[in-house]
Amino acid sequence: MNDQPLEKIRKISWKELEQLKLERFQSTLNRVYQNVPFYHDRFKEFQLDPGDFASLEDIRYLPFTTRKDLSDNYPYGMFAVPLRDILRIHTSVGSGENPAVVGYTNRDLANWKEIVGRCLLASEVSPNDIIQVVFDYGLANWGRDFKDGTELIEASIIPMSHLPSEKQLLVMRDYRTSVLVTTPSLALHLIYTLSFLEFDAEDLALKKCLLLGEQFDEDTRMRIEKGLGVKVWGAYGLSEVPGPGIAFECRERCGFHASEDHFLFEIVDPETGEPLPQGEFGELVITTITTKAFPIIRFRTGDRARILNDSCPCGLSLRRLEFLPERTDEVIVIRGVKVHPVQIASTIRKKLNGSNPAYVVFVSRDKYLEMIELWISVDDSLFSDKIKSLEMISETIKKELQDILGIGVRVKLVEPPTLEPYREKLGKIIDKDDSS
Amino acid sequence: MLRIKSIHTYYKKIRALSNVSLSVRENEVVALIGANGAGKSTLLNAISGLIPVSRGDIFFKNKKLNGLKPEEIVNLGISQVPEGRQIFQPMTVKENLELGAYVRFKKREKKEIAEDFDRIYQLFPILREREDQVSGTLSGGEQQMLAIGRALMARPRLLLLDEPSMGLAPKVVTTILKTIENLRRNGLTILLVEQNARAALKVADRGYVIETGRIMLEGDSEDLLVDNDVRRSYLGKDYEKFYE
Repeated sequence: MNDQPLEKIRKISWKELEQLKLERFQSTLNRVYQNVPFYHDRFKEFQLDPGDFASLEDIRYLPFTTRKDLSDNYPYGMFAVPLRDILRIHTSVGSGENPAVVGYTNRDLANWKEIVGRCLLASEVSPNDIIQVVFDYGLANWGRDFKDGTELIEASIIPMSHLPSEKQLLVMRDYRTSVLVTTPSLALHLIYTLSFLEFDAEDLALKKCLLLGEQFDEDTRMRIEKGLGVKVWGAYGLSEVPGPGIAFECRERCGFHASEDHFLFEIVDPETGEPLPQGEFGELVITTITTKAFPIIRFRTGDRARILNDSCPCGLSLRRLEFLPERTDEVIVIRGVKVHPVQIASTIRKKLNGSNPAYVVFVSRDKYLEMIELWISVDDSLFSDKIKSLEMISETIKKELQDILGIGVRVKLVEPPTLEPYREKLGKIIDKDDSS
Repeated sequence: MLRIKSIHTYYKKIRALSNVSLSVRENEVVALIGANGAGKSTLLNAISGLIPVSRGDIFFKNKKLNGLKPEEIVNLGISQVPEGRQIFQPMTVKENLELGAYVRFKKREKKEIAEDFDRIYQLFPILREREDQVSGTLSGGEQQMLAIGRALMARPRLLLLDEPSMGLAPKVVTTILKTIENLRRNGLTILLVEQNARAALKVADRGYVIETGRIMLEGDSEDLLVDNDVRRSYLGKDYEKFYE
């Protein structure tokens, strides 16, 4: 059993961890200054030099990196190493006009195995476990990371596949899956689907469920624990940083331990960008300190959280994060995938050759699974007396959005008056349950 | 054991070390690799108190070294084997070793010092053979062993080795590396500075890469050995493999 990913960090003292963070932070600044034009220019713009950063607190003087920056530097503008050093390239379903393209060097891949392996070990996964990964296509990258992490800790993996829910449950039953890795909404959807099948949760060998991609409350945790007969752990990850499990619940399940040996975590005021006093909720900002191919400095996640400073009964010296459900930006999380209004706007513009009809985006739920429903107003610019061409429009937009986002999309063409009640929210993403 | 935090040092008006942080844990062998002029020797000299630190701190077992005199630092348990050996050429092997224990004579540790002679000779049998020989006449490898032996006579807790493989034949380098491993097994903590990156990383637990006074990379030595930047810059990898 390879328990190193968790054990090596269990033994570390607070002082050692602070020194480690400082060393890695400073060498990261030196590397990005030298290798990434985007960051080099930023340093110059703010008249800063990596040599100025004598302590971890000085990080506040560095500018932020946003999703837009990643999108603007598509495809390889933020890579810190030559392309030939990159072993894996994947597209992160980013939240800008362009996706964010992320790369990994051999070292980065090894780091990610460790990060994910640690997250699994914290959920008490052992080599005797069979892990099944169930995500939507939009989280395919996480599927790969979980395969790697599982192999590192010598457990068994049934990698992510595109089977429909009923088949996933059959696999779970027949292959004796003991650990399910999925999103909260998919877990609920599986429970729902299970109720229509000939077997129930008792016929499954499931013992644990690891949830990521969306926040969940204790109510949801209990429902899933009951519905699948499992103990539920949560973990936190990002697609840009990139990857799952950068913070994870331990056996106490009272906060998400942050892998501080690989990332620096800050909480800032979302309006002003100033660091907030210890213990206050604010926007989570993440800096990579071990990543070689795609280092990111002060990335604004849009997630709302605070850092808990007191020690956890489990004994890990990694501090814990506590999250709030509201975000600080315009991004919506749907089945774990982040969707930004800008992506929808640019897709519509592209597919309609520049016309700009009014539209509203709904997030609706069907059997616990969220979907995007796009209502586009057929105004004069779009109108055609050929039904076929109107159908074509909705088909191409739907297909394009599904390809980009990796989740289900419905497109409805409506007459202009239908959108009247939503005229304040045109172009925005609305939760259908909230709208009156 | 050793904790360096964000130090700057200057050589006249030039900043030789810029915001350097580095640490060595007890019983570790840590390698500092970099090209000529990158700042490796400067760092060792800063630890030993031979050059001043203009910003930042150096802690040895939680005691701040900034501002202490070099002899005070030796007394605390840090011994440096300088670049180029710098043994006292006109003196014999035995005399060189005695001088290494200088600070301990004052503490009246004569018995322990005699035991240490034995230990050094066990580590480097050739030195016992040449005990009364004038050290300037020893071969390069023997001089290196003498330099290390001399540093060990001070019974250091932390040994700073500055380019031990410099100018030595490959076979001799292997012997020196084996010695370093031996020393570590006997509980010593070592900070090793080397241009021969491959040799250093093979014997070290962790490494730091320094370029023009800045730390660019740190990690476990086995990871650094396969890191592409390290391979290109320091391990003399065949460029064709990358560019074709």
